[in-house]
Formats: sequence, C-alpha cells, structure tokens
Amino acid sequence: MLDRIEESYKALYPLGPFNVGFTDRNFKTVSLEIITDTLSYIYEFGIEEPRLIDTLMAYDLNAAKINTLINQMHDIRCTWISYSDYYVDQKKHTLILMSIKPVALKSLFSYAKYYVLTYFPQPQYFDSEGRLLDKRKLRRLRKINGEVFKRINSKVCYAVTGHFR
Amino acid sequence: MKPNQHTRPCHILKAFVLACVILVFTPFAKAGTQLYPVLPGKVTSTQQQAIEYVEKISKLKPSAHWPNIKPGLFLKNLKTNIHNIVSIYPGKSTNFCGYGALSYLFLQDDPLGYATLLLQLYGEGKATFRSIIFEPSAAIKLEAGKLKYKGTLDINPAEQMWYLTLADHYKGYLNIFNRNYDEGDENRFWASVNYAKFNRMTRELLHYNSKARGADLMRPKVGSLYTYISDHMKTGTVVLFINNRILYKKDHIRLKLGVPTHFIVAEK
Repeated sequence: MLDRIEESYKALYPLGPFNVGFTDRNFKTVSLEIITDTLSYIYEFGIEEPRLIDTLMAYDLNAAKINTLINQMHDIRCTWISYSDYYVDQKKHTLILMSIKPVALKSLFSYAKYYVLTYFPQPQYFDSEGRLLDKRKLRRLRKINGEVFKRINSKVCYAVTGHFR
Repeated sequence: MKPNQHTRPCHILKAFVLACVILVFTPFAKAGTQLYPVLPGKVTSTQQQAIEYVEKISKLKPSAHWPNIKPGLFLKNLKTNIHNIVSIYPGKSTNFCGYGALSYLFLQDDPLGYATLLLQLYGEGKATFRSIIFEPSAAIKLEAGKLKYKGTLDINPAEQMWYLTLADHYKGYLNIFNRNYDEGDENRFWASVNYAKFNRMTRELLHYNSKARGADLMRPKVGSLYTYISDHMKTGTVVLFINNRILYKKDHIRLKLGVPTHFIVAEK
C-alpha cells in the first residue's frame, strides 16, 4: 500500500504540484497545499466535505485520483506526503517524503512519534550502520529536516521523528 | 560538535527557566498575532541603481574571511536577490524567518545599501551600515557557505552569511542561554528573534517609520484584526508575528503554547 501511495503521488504531482495530509489526530481534517509558480495555497477541509473536490477541480487537478489517494492515506494512517528538494554539489534533487502515525498506544506525556519514509529517485550511499550519507566519498551523514535516516533499501529510508513533516 | 543539550544539567536548568518564563505568561495569551505596521519612508535607493551596481561586477576574489564561501555562488546569489526580491529564502527548519522578513523589507527600502553592505562584509570580514558595525565571530565566518539540508539556502552563501551575521550581532532575551554559535545553532534559540529584537533590527537597518502593536506573549488590542491589518496594508507594509504551530502543523500534540514563532510580511 505504501508503494502504491508513493507511485500514485509521483504520477499526480507533475500534473499539478500539491502536498496533502491530515492535521488532526482522528484523520478527519485534510490539509491540502496547492503549489503554483508564485504562491502556495493552504486549505483545510473535512474529509467528506464537497469543497475538497470542488477546490481540486478549480485548480484543474485530477480530483478523482487525488481523492482516492487521500482515502488510501486515511486507511493506513499516512499523515503527510510531499515532495522535498535537496542539493548535492549545487545540483537540485527531489525526494518524496511520507509519514505514518503509528497505532500503538503511548503514555500520556510522551512525545508523538511518526515513521517518516523518504523515497529517493536513485540509489543512495549508506555507512556500515545503514545511516544515509551525503555522498560516497564524503562520510557526512545526510540530514533531512534535522533527522538522520536509515536504510530500508537502496532508495528508501526511514526515521522515527516527533514531526510528520 | 555541540554536546547534547538534554544530557547536561545546566542546559536542563536553562530550558526549565525559559519554559517557566513562557508558561507564566501563557494564560494571558492566545494564539499570537502580533503586528508591525511599517509605514514606507524615503526609499534610499532604487532597484535599478542596485542592478547597475552589481552588474558591473563580473568576478569576485575568494575572501580570506569566509573560507567556505565560493565567490561565484556568492555573486550569483547577491544578483538574484537584487533582481528578484522574493528569491529571499531563510531555509528549511531554521530560525531565520525574522531575518528573512527583515531582508525582504531591506531589499525594498535600500537595495543598493544591501548590495554594498554584503559585498563589504564579504571582502573585509566586517562592515559598517549607518551606525551599525557588523563584526561576525570566527565561528560564523567558518560556517557561512557550509549550511546544508536547508533547501535553496544550501546554494545561497550570500544569504547564509547575512542571516548568520544578523543572528550573531543582534541579541534578545531568547538568546540569553545560547549566545555563541555552535554547529546546528541556526535551528536553535541562538537564531531566535523575539518581538523587541525584530523591532530593534527594523529601526536600525531600515528607513521606515515603524510602529509595533502587541508583545511576545500578549495579542494586540486592535478590535477587528482583519480590519486593522487591511487598513494598515493600504498605507504601508504589515509584518505579522504569528503562531506558526497553528498555521503550519507539524504534529498532533493537543497542548500548544500560545506563543508567536514566525514572521510574515503581509502583502496583497
């Protein structure tokens, strides 16, 4: 399911850039960021609200497929999906960042934790402990949003963090 | 490398004192939107003057003061800022938003002053602007050009140098416990900007007639916020100091302190 969400988002994003996620604990409020050349528009809708579809259509986005994506995210408690850019040797690269809220119970005063996955378009370099590296030669750990990521496979990494984006 | 703050008792104590200061005042505060209406004063230079000035420079020598800044990238970044003011970007996950908002106003108010100040800072390692003397610390000079994983800021060394210099020069009460730069401090209290500090920077660096309403922990009493902001946007520039935890949620924590965290220049 995770890969299906990632593939669906990757296919939809070039048609009209957007980020989407859930900003409440009950997964009822959809936060939608629509990115244009000059501005990013931030909206919040109830998951059942017709305004959500109307807004997607108003921006000429594929409303049906994005709605399916939102429902898939809802089903697996995927909190957020977005594109993020990073630079290697002054060259821009992009990755897909996806976060999932675990269902396990936690104590009342402990921090909320999220599993954050990064999907890179090409294989990455890792150290012997499986930590994501900046480059093969320079043994500097690559941090994304201040977090060190670990290997799942050559293109996918994960971190457990206190923020979903 | 900075030691882990949470493992040292003195840092825990500092964090506790700071948390107490915030908590004591929090019951009086709601999600903060503090306001800075800024009335445009005399524009000191024009964008065209700044463009003519920077376009005459085709090449920069490496600066001994800033060993990690590549001169070509520095010049490109400076020219981009002058040509396209909205290119200003304070970076992902940093506490540079206050300096970003200030720089955006600076580029509108005195773009030539911005260009000459940054070039002097780059070439001489220190600079004087109006009556302000910027003398960045050695740690700043080593770090500028090396900030990574901050989005476009990674490839903008002129902005890295400028934001680090501002954070190094201007201090407010949020910076009391972290006054000297260590690696990663751009994301920590070292770089934070409070209400009074932003005011001070605005008044010293810009030629605007600025007027501030509100406080760090108290919302301004201005009646209808919408009407107040709209009215002031007709006659000047408005900078908002808002609680970004509400606008830009990053977690699902129920208990959130009602303190402002983010500076935004409001424009139509």
